[in-house]
Amino acid sequence: MNKVIKLHLHDRYPELGKGPVPVEPYISAPYFDKEQAKIFKKTWLHVGRVEEIPKAGDYFVKDLEACEASIIVVRDKAGCINAMHNVCSHRMNQIVYEKRGQARKFFCKFHGWAYDLEGKLTGVPEEESFFDLDKCDHGLTRVACDVWQGFIFINLDPNPALSLAEFMQPMFRDIEGYPFDKITTGFQWSTVVNCNWKLALDAFQEAYHVAYVHGRSIADAIDTAADGAMPPLDALCGEFHRRLSIAGNPKSVYGNPNAVTAGGAAAQQAIADSATAKPIAAAALRAGLGSATHQFRKEDLPKGMNWTGHDNWLFDINVVFPDFYLSLRPNYFQAYNFRPLSQGKTLLEARVYYPEMKTAGGRFYLEYMKVALRDVLLEDLSTLERTQSAVQTGVKKEMLLQDFELLVRHGAHVVDRIVNEETKA
Amino acid sequence: MSTHQNPPTLPPRFAALQTYIHWSLATETERTRMRNTSQMAEIVAFKDAMLVEVDAIVDYLNGFPLDAMPPQEAALMHMLLSLAEVAPAVEAYRQPGVIDGYAFERFKADETFVMRPPI
Repeated sequence: MNKVIKLHLHDRYPELGKGPVPVEPYISAPYFDKEQAKIFKKTWLHVGRVEEIPKAGDYFVKDLEACEASIIVVRDKAGCINAMHNVCSHRMNQIVYEKRGQARKFFCKFHGWAYDLEGKLTGVPEEESFFDLDKCDHGLTRVACDVWQGFIFINLDPNPALSLAEFMQPMFRDIEGYPFDKITTGFQWSTVVNCNWKLALDAFQEAYHVAYVHGRSIADAIDTAADGAMPPLDALCGEFHRRLSIAGNPKSVYGNPNAVTAGGAAAQQAIADSATAKPIAAAALRAGLGSATHQFRKEDLPKGMNWTGHDNWLFDINVVFPDFYLSLRPNYFQAYNFRPLSQGKTLLEARVYYPEMKTAGGRFYLEYMKVALRDVLLEDLSTLERTQSAVQTGVKKEMLLQDFELLVRHGAHVVDRIVNEETKA
Repeated sequence: MSTHQNPPTLPPRFAALQTYIHWSLATETERTRMRNTSQMAEIVAFKDAMLVEVDAIVDYLNGFPLDAMPPQEAALMHMLLSLAEVAPAVEAYRQPGVIDGYAFERFKADETFVMRPPI
């Protein structure tokens, strides 16, 4: 067990204050309009991973209500990834109807206009009947697109205030080199939750709720202090982004994910401790040992991971502004987007990625870990609509945050700064 | 697959588990629905039957490639994945569904996600 830790995280960030935080931004339609204009149409948004479109012509389409846009993301013949609006230059039909696929060119199904994988207009049926048409002037409208550590980001602003590297690196440079490219088995779920996007994200930005919301499931996977609390190891706040580091209980299968790839004493202890109370968990870990296609040693991770150097470190939460939750563990990671559809509606796209497993036993272990995580998400989601309804009653104007909820405060602060000032994200 | 007309058969070594063949479901969506619409006693009976054989099942299935499992072995593999599906029901909630949880039907697994494993 940890000693009782009094971190006073807030003392490092006096500009955030310690007072109550207003809830008006969670229910105000005019506030949401400003978020759309000043944040979602102006900043870098995560849309997927490079492994989803490995070959030239592979593409997917992202509908981004928060930006009032539909974006085609495609790999071209040179291997570059391009993003463009899904709007034909002729009479504005959507070029692509499918969610993902493979194309040599994109043909508009309305009048057959053709575009190449860079968005250039290459073919116009009955071209001679148009008036002074120069195809060079009428390609698909491109949006900014760049890749950080295999994550594809787009920015609707054609001239972003910051490059993607400038946006990411002040907070995340020292986690570059995390083995994303070895963690290539993915699962995805989606749901539309009737709540504000910030309210949804907030539920994932602190561990104060774990003992209660997750009391029956994975609370035993988190390291617990002598007084029963689950304080974070540390928290970091930047100009836009934020991070939280959490310790696990290495005696539990779920709290010691590297047991499956490291094996040895760590695995034997987790199996022994789970054998009676959680025999399926123990069986899954036994089955998974030795199946992963790669080794994942904690000492090989970039220095920004587990930045406090804690022996029982379990994972770091990374919140990439505005709505991307990226939780990195020793050998698997979660990537969630809390993307607004409107002021009170949020599309959650939740993805989890594991190393590829060579055997049936390894696949069984992955299914155990995935199902446990999915059920934890069902627990997390259970409060959101209830909270949104309660906020909308208007009886409470402010929320009270404790020291370990620093990331919730920081999130509210950054959004409010951008919405109410003339700074650009 | 979950065609009721022609339930899959299991490898002869595991024929005793044929009673539970309705847990042989190819997708997470089907497995989750099965768990959430079953009685706890049915879940526990399935779990008990699988758990005594689980190491033997894993040893046996490890001899087949994940991306080219013959039909009987795939049927058994899908039962193994159902065992993982019911783990939280048995080991965390003591009831089929997540206690106070978000409706499972609303949290949709994308069975076509390009990075999913072959089985």
